[in-house]
Amino acid sequence: MATDTQPSHGVVRTVLAGAERVHEMLDSYGLVPTVTNGIALLFVVWTLFPVYWMVSGSLRTRSDLLATPPKLVSTALTVGNYPELFAQRPAFYEFLFNSVIVTVGSAAIAVLLGTAATYGFVNYEFPYDLGRFHLPFLVLTTRFLPPIVTVIPLYIIFDTAGLLNTRLGLVLAYAAFNIPFVVWMLKGFFAELPDSIVEAAVLDGHTEFGAFFKIVLPMVRPGLIAATIFTVINAWNELLFAVILTSNTEAQTLPVALATFKTAYAIQWELLTVAGTIAMAPVLLFAFLVREKLLRGFTMGAVR
Amino acid sequence: MVRVRYDDVTKRYGNEIGAKDIDITVEDGEFAVLLGPSGCGKTTTLRCLAGLTDPTEGEIRIDGTDITDRHPKNRDIAMVFQELALYPHMGVAANIGYPLKVEGVDKKARRERVEEVAETLDIGELLDRETDELSGGQRQRVAIGRAIIRRPSVFLMDEPLASLDAKLKVEMRNEIKKLQRELGITTLYVTHDQEEAMTLGDKLIVMNDGTVQQVGTPAEVYHDPTNQFVAGFIGSPSMNFLRVRRKAPGSQRVVAADDATFSFSVEGLPTAVDDTDPFVLGVRPQYFSVHQSPIDGAAKAKVTVTEPMGDEQLLTVQLDGDGREIAVRAPFDVAITRGDTIWLGVSDERAYVFDVETGARIRQTELSTDTAVPTGSRP
Repeated sequence: MATDTQPSHGVVRTVLAGAERVHEMLDSYGLVPTVTNGIALLFVVWTLFPVYWMVSGSLRTRSDLLATPPKLVSTALTVGNYPELFAQRPAFYEFLFNSVIVTVGSAAIAVLLGTAATYGFVNYEFPYDLGRFHLPFLVLTTRFLPPIVTVIPLYIIFDTAGLLNTRLGLVLAYAAFNIPFVVWMLKGFFAELPDSIVEAAVLDGHTEFGAFFKIVLPMVRPGLIAATIFTVINAWNELLFAVILTSNTEAQTLPVALATFKTAYAIQWELLTVAGTIAMAPVLLFAFLVREKLLRGFTMGAVR
Repeated sequence: MVRVRYDDVTKRYGNEIGAKDIDITVEDGEFAVLLGPSGCGKTTTLRCLAGLTDPTEGEIRIDGTDITDRHPKNRDIAMVFQELALYPHMGVAANIGYPLKVEGVDKKARRERVEEVAETLDIGELLDRETDELSGGQRQRVAIGRAIIRRPSVFLMDEPLASLDAKLKVEMRNEIKKLQRELGITTLYVTHDQEEAMTLGDKLIVMNDGTVQQVGTPAEVYHDPTNQFVAGFIGSPSMNFLRVRRKAPGSQRVVAADDATFSFSVEGLPTAVDDTDPFVLGVRPQYFSVHQSPIDGAAKAKVTVTEPMGDEQLLTVQLDGDGREIAVRAPFDVAITRGDTIWLGVSDERAYVFDVETGARIRQTELSTDTAVPTGSRP
């Protein structure tokens, strides 16, 4: 019995034994699938309801959205909120544009540098085992600090360097903070490649550089895709750095724009839901399109 | 004409020796086999030629040209790896044709060459498959195809058959040999399997502890080993080694070196061991004569294991009064069972004498006087 191997904490044992009895009882009535599916359904509703509420809210009038008691399903749908958003806030285009630039730029840099670094860590000889563990770990430690701790010195550095309120500044900041993820996601993929593959490519006429691009990268593609998606999502959703390091539409991104819908006087719920839907859509669509590769990337390599 | 020459090549990994003072020549079109136990430096030696490992000292020449510092891609060498190293993201045809693609050969010419090579290797019908759909033997052929398509001047193989089952191994072995003969490409082949080495090689290069022990034809290394290591490594079951000495100076009777527990006669021992100092006597299992009744000059022994092998039987016997077990081959029609007592004779021309300290072979011909110091040949 499973409880025998558990530490002898009375409570744990009682709960586990109880759970086991419940499972046996459900099993005797053939109810196990019903109950597990029911729990799964609850979880789906729990996670997806806010999304539903936001998307449906973007298609409702303010009074409909804020009706008491709340209407779960609306009969009077309208798309009027969408043009209204851009009419009231013409700068929304600029936020969108900034977000795209910052996300694509930072993801590209993070994946490129992260991939090259990981290949180096795994394939080149470092003294004292630095490459296999210590250096990648050092890279990861940059993520141990709460971001708010690093943002203040970063603000001062950016101020001196003239990077405050620039898209380039955000690109650099996001790239730096995403490289650790790329390194640790790809490490396992590179470690699994046999050395002889690169050597075969070199004997087949490649330089090491050529072998890296033509043979190694295609072989770690699932990992690259997963790392790219991850960095894109991270950059697209980031709020804290963007709020502190940018001050106007020159460089502010969508999450910053979303925060401005909550003013001292009111919250423009109907416009906020529109903006939120627009902000969410690209990432959701992107993740949906590559969902199989995303899952493969997360389950292969390091996590096995 | 492609002649490969290693000139005092040494590879060190920090303080460890990978290969030391490698000084060998492989002639044009020759099939040379680097043979030795794992960790003996044979793969390191091969990789130095491929350019995948940089020698610490020495030079490697192909046709007189020093290629020691040349990039692997500019050496005109192809290699089949133990793991085969097929590109998993490419199909069979793409794998075989890849070296030509890198070279910039156009698509049509490439396809033609791929088909030609596939025909040679009998895998024409597999060209449109993915590599992970292939069996072990088929993957092997694809790897060989990728190596020969460029018609390299030197062909390297690093234990390419290690992952195949016994039957397929023999099959592929024959094919590799045939192919090498047809193409006439100078080949270096690494293996730890002495049977594979004996059947494949024109020349065997036996290595141990990073150094070359002996270079010679399969017959030479088998029948005329230069030291105890080579004698013991080549041949299956291995040669028996007994630490013995002459019973008396000049006597043809040898006895166990320490306690004289067993004794038998060996004629024609080298004069270098004329005194009663111990030496190592090496006898292959099949060169004992087995008698079921006492005969003069034979050693008494007790059979502990019998293994019938068809035409012959393999016996494990314990020499009388001595704990040591040795292997003996006897004809199948000699009725012997476990626990029997037998007498073993040694035919003198098949007994080898080695130095106790260095393991170097002590030969009759090299020594003419009783006082000569046993030197043997180069260890």
